[in-house]
Amino acid sequence: MKLQLDQSLGWSVSAILAVLVLFPLAAVIIQILLPGVFFGELRLGDFRLLLELFHRPLWLKSLVNSVLLALGTTLLGTLLGGILATVRSAWRFPTAGMLDAAVWALLITPSFILAQGWVMFAAPNGFAVRMFGWEWVPSAVFQPAGLIVIMALSKFPLAYLSVRAAMEWQVGQLADAARLCGASPFAAWRSIQAPLLLPSYLAGAALVFMDTVGDFGLPASIAAVYRFPTLPYSIYTAIYTSPIRFDMAGVLSFYLVLLITLAMLLQFYAMRRARFDFLTARAVPAVPKPAGKFGWVAAVFNVGFLLVALGVPLGGNLLMSVLKTQGSGLHPDNFTLHHYASLFAERSELVNGLWRSLAISASAAVAGLVIGLLVAYVLMYSAFRFKCWIEVLSIVTLAVPGVVLGIGYIFVWNQKWLEPLGLLLYGKPAILALAAIAGAIPIIVRIIVGAMAKVPRSLLDAAQLSGDSFIRRMRRILAPLVRGALVSAALSAFGAGVFDLAVNTILFPPGFMTLPVTINKAFENLKFGYASAATIFGGGTVVAIILLVELMFRRKRKG
Amino acid sequence: MLLRWMRRKVSMALLLIMALAVAACGGSGGAGGEGGANSGDGDTASAQAPSAGQVKTETKSAGDGEDEGTLTVYLNDFDEIIAEMFKEATGYDVELVTGNGAEIMSRIQAEKGNPHWDVVWIDAMPSIHGLALDGQLLEGWTPENAANLKESFRRHVPENGAYYPTGAHAAGLIVYNKNALNPEQAPQSWDDFADPSFKGEIGMADPAIAAPAFPFVAWFFEERGMDGGKAYFETLFANGLRVYPKNPNVVTALSSGEVKAAVLQESNAYQMRENGEPIEIIWPEEGAPASVRVAAIQKDTKNPNAAKAFVEFLLSPETQQALIDQGEEAYFEPSVEGAQPKPDRNPDAKLVAADAAWAAAHEAEIKQWFADKAVQ
Repeated sequence: MKLQLDQSLGWSVSAILAVLVLFPLAAVIIQILLPGVFFGELRLGDFRLLLELFHRPLWLKSLVNSVLLALGTTLLGTLLGGILATVRSAWRFPTAGMLDAAVWALLITPSFILAQGWVMFAAPNGFAVRMFGWEWVPSAVFQPAGLIVIMALSKFPLAYLSVRAAMEWQVGQLADAARLCGASPFAAWRSIQAPLLLPSYLAGAALVFMDTVGDFGLPASIAAVYRFPTLPYSIYTAIYTSPIRFDMAGVLSFYLVLLITLAMLLQFYAMRRARFDFLTARAVPAVPKPAGKFGWVAAVFNVGFLLVALGVPLGGNLLMSVLKTQGSGLHPDNFTLHHYASLFAERSELVNGLWRSLAISASAAVAGLVIGLLVAYVLMYSAFRFKCWIEVLSIVTLAVPGVVLGIGYIFVWNQKWLEPLGLLLYGKPAILALAAIAGAIPIIVRIIVGAMAKVPRSLLDAAQLSGDSFIRRMRRILAPLVRGALVSAALSAFGAGVFDLAVNTILFPPGFMTLPVTINKAFENLKFGYASAATIFGGGTVVAIILLVELMFRRKRKG
Repeated sequence: MLLRWMRRKVSMALLLIMALAVAACGGSGGAGGEGGANSGDGDTASAQAPSAGQVKTETKSAGDGEDEGTLTVYLNDFDEIIAEMFKEATGYDVELVTGNGAEIMSRIQAEKGNPHWDVVWIDAMPSIHGLALDGQLLEGWTPENAANLKESFRRHVPENGAYYPTGAHAAGLIVYNKNALNPEQAPQSWDDFADPSFKGEIGMADPAIAAPAFPFVAWFFEERGMDGGKAYFETLFANGLRVYPKNPNVVTALSSGEVKAAVLQESNAYQMRENGEPIEIIWPEEGAPASVRVAAIQKDTKNPNAAKAFVEFLLSPETQQALIDQGEEAYFEPSVEGAQPKPDRNPDAKLVAADAAWAAAHEAEIKQWFADKAVQ
């Protein structure tokens, strides 16, 4: 009975992931074998393309750069996120709430906007040199090591959220036991708390790795691309040529997927070696202790850090949004609120676009949460045979550039035979929601899995033995225990979805412009002021919604 | 109970998967017959001769039956005004899909089995020429307003009439920061970029990513021959040419001081000046490589009447004048007699364009050489 449930649950989850992720991705990768398959041509592709990677200078360099960048960023970003989450969960200090808000803001801001902010700050004629006279900034930022630091400062929120969600429940009694046996606080932390948090660190690291490996905007803008091409860059060059080389995009995506699979296998191996489910009926929600005298030290560090990580990129955009011209600098008569006013001008598509984006990503977040919960359940508790594949499918969309996924969606959802079934979704808003769900699943699943790792299966089994149904077990036992993670997961998916540019540009239906498309268009038309104002306004709205929802849930829990 | 429900769901999902898989592998029956027969298959130069497919197409789509839906236009500029203008002039509704040239082209190519567009109108003539070679465009129809075309634009119309030019602008102009260079120091011609005094100080957009950068690069390769083109850009690379993904990145680099001079697309250059940035624009004497904006109709369009009306509309002097007076990408040379370019556009502006067929045939080769060269 139990096994049967595991299997059917496993297959349903596989089916959902296949439709959302596998088919679109396979549709692009199959272009290597059968380039014309979606246009009614059956001819074999050139398999030698697969080996081209090792011959073409650009491709080889891209691969090496991508691996280098992803490893460096993962190391630094996970460390940063882990330390911050630990401090934040252990102590209460002034300005701690700002850290949470900043993490959300960073998570949802599209990387091309973060990049723009850093460029405005660090360029030879940028704010750093002009306002503070820091001549060393440009050369420090515009080089591979600088790029890794900036990537880490932008991607650490993924690790932070993962670790923080896992620290929601306190396991004081284990550490207390160690202390009673004479262990020093550090020894207790090293041998008890740290290992127990390992799954959440790994989950965080995996997310940072994927997001970095698939990022186009930041590396392309920070390191003038020709000195640091990455795999996503090379994918763009394959797609943005004429005739378009979908087969080349397929080859490069194939290697991206390979990289991710390798990373996942490593993680799998690390997790296999031990069990981490330590929650018992005696666990209590973790409450940060007052930091006392050190509170202000933490606060100063916190504010300093946030000024760099968030202040620089958003400050650049904020300044841009209130300046008449970029070149004239910070004179009082160069300031204006005109760009904000023009957001609401008559012909402005912005408000419509914002509504559409909010609606699509909200529905995607809710649907994604349900799917993500099922996926995470299968991964953590079921005996389903093909778990490993589910794991890979559940994370792959983070690393595959949105434009590849988008093209895959066109291939799959634009086939004529779907029309009579009412399933020809390309050209309808529904396809944006589907793609948004696919984009949301990695974040949702990782965050929930990290939190679920501590909940022992025995808790669920006990309930089942007492006659609880599956749905009841999820609702009454699992959901409350990982509730913080559920809220975090849904909110981060919501936030990231609003600004997901690449998928949107390739899939939006005629006359259905969304927020990121509008912003990007303004950037391309050099209306930097308007674009920045739209970013700040849209981002502000989203952060406000997220904080409001968080507050509601936190309140409810206290009550 | 739950189990039964789950099982039913699973089997439905599996059915869907199988259906999709079959469709994906089975050559999508409905889409067959398109494209396959008349793709040029590398035989690019023969594009000028009307193909056998042309007559067939004519009889099929030029029957001018009723339109079945709303006209859908894929475009990369003027989306802010064109729908309203067209509706007012003709009464037809029009839906727009806006994107940069590369996005529009990826959509069109990915939709090939079941196109959603009726008209494409973008400033990437070589790419549209590629679509014509692939047999995706309506051929053999001559708009009445094509009679308005200036002599210099007639040569861009292919013999099979697959697309019509609506204007042209510089794909690359010399732009320099006045705070960094004075007029004597500034580069005046394309060869000045090789001067050692500009080492590491010149920026341009990446032809592999930015749509307008390819026509710019292509002209050098056609004008100087493949080897000459390679030699020219090799000297620029040796001189520390900085290549940014797109024109807006070049703009940021220019105004932030990362580079002192740059190659910029015309509308970006004038927009910078309009924004009050301290820059100067130079039209080189040997000419600025041009981007030609063209309009083409999809071969199997279900809205032939509205589509043809749209192309006619674009070729009227009144429309082109309105685009110049009110549009966001207003700096261009109109393709028809009777429309005047912006008064502050250089009256001696000299545009030179690579031949579309030649550029389309060499696009992949040039882009690949450029990208591979630059990482070495």
